[in-house]
Amino acid sequence: MKILRFAAVGVAAALTLTACGNGDDAADEPTEAGTPEAATIKLWLNGTDTPDALREYLTTTFESENPGSKLVIEEQDWSGLVPRLQTALGSADQTPDVVEIGNTQSPTFTYAGAFADITDMYDELGGDKLLPGFVEAGSADGSFYAAPYYSGARAVFYNKDAFAAAGVEVPTTLAEFTEAAKALQTDTQSGFWFPGQDWYNGAAWIYTNGGDLAVKDGDTWKGALSTPESIKGLEEVQDLFANATNAPADSDSNEPWVPFNAGQSAMFSAPTWARWSIDLPQCNKAVDPDDTSEEAKVLRGEQQACNEEHTGIFPLPGLEEGSVANGFAGGSNIAVAAKSKNPDLAKNLLKIIFSEEYQNMLGENGLIPGNTEYAASMGDDVYAKAAVAAALDAKLTPAAEKWADVEGDRILEDFFQQLATGADVTEAAAETDQLLEDALN
Amino acid sequence: MSALATPAPPVPATAATPTRSSEAGRAQSRGGRRALGVLAVILSVLWVFPIYWMVNSAFLPLNKLQTPEPTFFPVGATLSNFRRVLDDPSFWTSMRVSLAVVAIVLVAALLFAFLAALAVSRFRFRGRKSFILTILVVQMIPAEGLFISQYQMLDGWNLVNKVAGLALVYTAAILPFTIWMLRGFVAGVPIELEEAAMVDGLSRTAAFFRITFPLLAPGLVAAGVYGFLQAWNEYTLALVVMTDPAQRTLPLWLQGLVESNRATDWGVVMAGSAVIAIPVIVFFLFVQNKMTSGLVAGAVKG
Amino acid sequence: MAATATVPLQDDDTVVFPRRRRRKLGVYGLLVPAAILMGVALGYPLVRQFVISFQEYGLRQQFGQPAEWVGLKNYTDLLSDPYVWTVIGRSIAFCLVNAGVTMLVGVAFAVLMSRVSKAPRITLQVALLLAWGTPVLASMTVWQWLFDSQYGVINWVLANVFGLEDMAGHSWIIQPLSFYFVATVIVVWMSVPFVAFSVYAALLQVPEETMEAAQLDGASARQRFWNITMPMVRPVLSIVLLLQVIWDFKVFTQIYVLQRAGAPTRETNLLGTLIYSYADEFSLAGALATIMLVITLGLTGFYIRKMLKEDEL
Repeated sequence: MKILRFAAVGVAAALTLTACGNGDDAADEPTEAGTPEAATIKLWLNGTDTPDALREYLTTTFESENPGSKLVIEEQDWSGLVPRLQTALGSADQTPDVVEIGNTQSPTFTYAGAFADITDMYDELGGDKLLPGFVEAGSADGSFYAAPYYSGARAVFYNKDAFAAAGVEVPTTLAEFTEAAKALQTDTQSGFWFPGQDWYNGAAWIYTNGGDLAVKDGDTWKGALSTPESIKGLEEVQDLFANATNAPADSDSNEPWVPFNAGQSAMFSAPTWARWSIDLPQCNKAVDPDDTSEEAKVLRGEQQACNEEHTGIFPLPGLEEGSVANGFAGGSNIAVAAKSKNPDLAKNLLKIIFSEEYQNMLGENGLIPGNTEYAASMGDDVYAKAAVAAALDAKLTPAAEKWADVEGDRILEDFFQQLATGADVTEAAAETDQLLEDALN
Repeated sequence: MSALATPAPPVPATAATPTRSSEAGRAQSRGGRRALGVLAVILSVLWVFPIYWMVNSAFLPLNKLQTPEPTFFPVGATLSNFRRVLDDPSFWTSMRVSLAVVAIVLVAALLFAFLAALAVSRFRFRGRKSFILTILVVQMIPAEGLFISQYQMLDGWNLVNKVAGLALVYTAAILPFTIWMLRGFVAGVPIELEEAAMVDGLSRTAAFFRITFPLLAPGLVAAGVYGFLQAWNEYTLALVVMTDPAQRTLPLWLQGLVESNRATDWGVVMAGSAVIAIPVIVFFLFVQNKMTSGLVAGAVKG
Repeated sequence: MAATATVPLQDDDTVVFPRRRRRKLGVYGLLVPAAILMGVALGYPLVRQFVISFQEYGLRQQFGQPAEWVGLKNYTDLLSDPYVWTVIGRSIAFCLVNAGVTMLVGVAFAVLMSRVSKAPRITLQVALLLAWGTPVLASMTVWQWLFDSQYGVINWVLANVFGLEDMAGHSWIIQPLSFYFVATVIVVWMSVPFVAFSVYAALLQVPEETMEAAQLDGASARQRFWNITMPMVRPVLSIVLLLQVIWDFKVFTQIYVLQRAGAPTRETNLLGTLIYSYADEFSLAGALATIMLVITLGLTGFYIRKMLKEDEL
């Protein structure tokens, strides 16, 4: 049902673009109700996903709306995030006031009591227009703790020249996709870049066939990889591993555009901002990345246009013709730390993040904003369309308290790698279900 | 660290410059020895290859790295990988932090370990064996699960995100092995020399610094090398303690670099690795003479 | 620190006049700075880890929920899990193989160093120093790159120089056995320098006169090695071996980095990485650390007792 609602919102978004969002007026509220005491607050953002311009906007807006207060943004690496949050969020002196957290890590910290309850802000931040799966990942026991920050849906990039050479059309169903990938596959070119540990992309086959990773049954979690729906998807996954990719079984979903750029792959799936990483040899103008002259800018523009001319994009298709697959949605939540000494200032910052202006800025940078009302800001080019289409039907990992253990133990990486190396699907799925149950309960 | 500057006294230094070759020459046929020499060089090449490869790759542009055929020599070398590393202000920040941590750790650990080593190697006292056993057993406990307690401890003292905090934990962590290493070494320095100097009219202070301390210098260097490596390399604790970007040590910086360039640009990753290895290698080569003699002297007692 | 620097002088008194009782206290004075530092900054976390191993202490407890005492539950949970036993077995095997190979290669290098002329000896020493001095994270990145399945030079050499064409694109870390082979290569590469230098140093202590006298008495090279050299270097060998066993049993960084490079995690875990994966179930990590200590003592206890008896410690 959530999906339907989201779809409706997405379509309506264009109409409501000019309408005033809830969050916008709300930002002024504290000044009326008494300004919180001035202080310096700390925001942790992860990796480089939030562009510099957005960071600057947050700092200047926050500091002008909260005179005397300062905002410090500290960038954290994704790889070391969990141990850092685990220690810093528990310290009253060191805790960041506002933190970004990966959507798959969010339930664990939410249940552990690491975040402040912001149920009362739910409507103000966007209410039921917030990305529903992310809201679920940031809620525990009926309260709301971590709001959706952004989502990055995956779409399939393809090399138009390779498609033409192999006489392949853009697939319209998941089965056609597999056929296309197989048709494109040669000894030197992968039909589809699908490394063995890439469960982020692989999950789409499970979800689309109606399966799941784990489901809650009363109070306990049950592994769902062995359900007939999941098995069907997993068999297709194994078919792709065996017949449609040369990608190594010991790689993950990082940087799939590298083989694509090198002509070693005809298709790859990644968040749509991967468009900026495409660099086909026939388009490369050998511009020094540090060169800021006008000339270089023009050349870079030509280069990008050429790359985009040779590259196409489509959302991974679903089972029925014209439908879109239920892919796995990457992205982040954002929350106020439970131990923050300045919860009011932290909440003010949250309001700025959910203001119309900032949400639109996220969209303009290719990120699907946490408040779906502003999804139209992503534009209407092929990339935005593919991203929005994929995001509408995207699904998250189960919102289980101990999901972080599944990630920490790399259970799904191991499982997909087993499929890639030819393990028996049913057996491997049953074993992995057991591991999931051990980890989640 | 005056130990580094003090010239090595003749006694242990001679032990380090072996004069066995004449004897060995007699024992083996000339050809046999030459064959062994060749073998030694082959093994050296084998051993040094990974480091050569790191430096070689660091000089290569991406299009020469990701090719089916490896480029064995840096022909068409580029400095752009190094430039990207050295132009990164966060690299220099991390370098400063790491150097500060290492400096504190070395001074504190060597000083305290030296005192303790003096006690356990020159005196028989109640609890001596238990102390030695404790510093041995402590090294058997894995550190990977400790970071939470260590963090909470530092947090309680307001030492999170501070060089002093990290240095404190590192010093405590390397003390057991440093004491262990220095212990055998201190035992090898004859107290009689110092007494003889005092008979010759030197004050006790002068006798210690002029006679005993120089003899200890190689041992301190050997132990210092160990401490340097530990403090320079440590990752899991630094990860949680140094969250402020202005306080990150080099391993954290390198991890960030690897994360943002993995699969895309090994050249930059290799340049980053080479650059953080350089201070250590310089330190090693600088002290290598003393360190070998330190190990030699330490080996007397083990 | 300036203040403590005067302590050794005072205590050198004790050296000269060890009979005076007042000075005896000075011995403990020498130990105090190190003992306090270790007791506080190392001892406290270790004791706390031990205490927590008898509690239920996870992420929730870190955010303020009370920790319940559960007695030995964490220990029984771990020890009744066959997977934990598998990992213990692997770790012991990995440790023994690595310590053994490191010792063999290290001793061979030391003997080689003592037998060759100056130039090759210094070449070998510098090579070993470089391997030893390179920070582990830096050398791990280059080892990953060497063994990389697509662009790694090792696969290329095997395929093109040795004609093993199957090796092109071969993934080294995806099978547990070959994963451990790669890990062993790396661990041995890093550990050999310490062993080689220590043993080489010990070999230099063997007095030439004794060797020459033995030679004159007609002892063969083999007899001289076993009857003169070995007894003299044995204390060093014992201690170096002991340290290798302790270190290799705890191995973490090399395994962790290789796992993240794309190996199947569960099939390649050793105790170090398993403990790290329990980081949000802190009580389990503590219990497993204690179990590891007990195993290490079991592996080395006999040996340590012997060394204590022979006064080698």
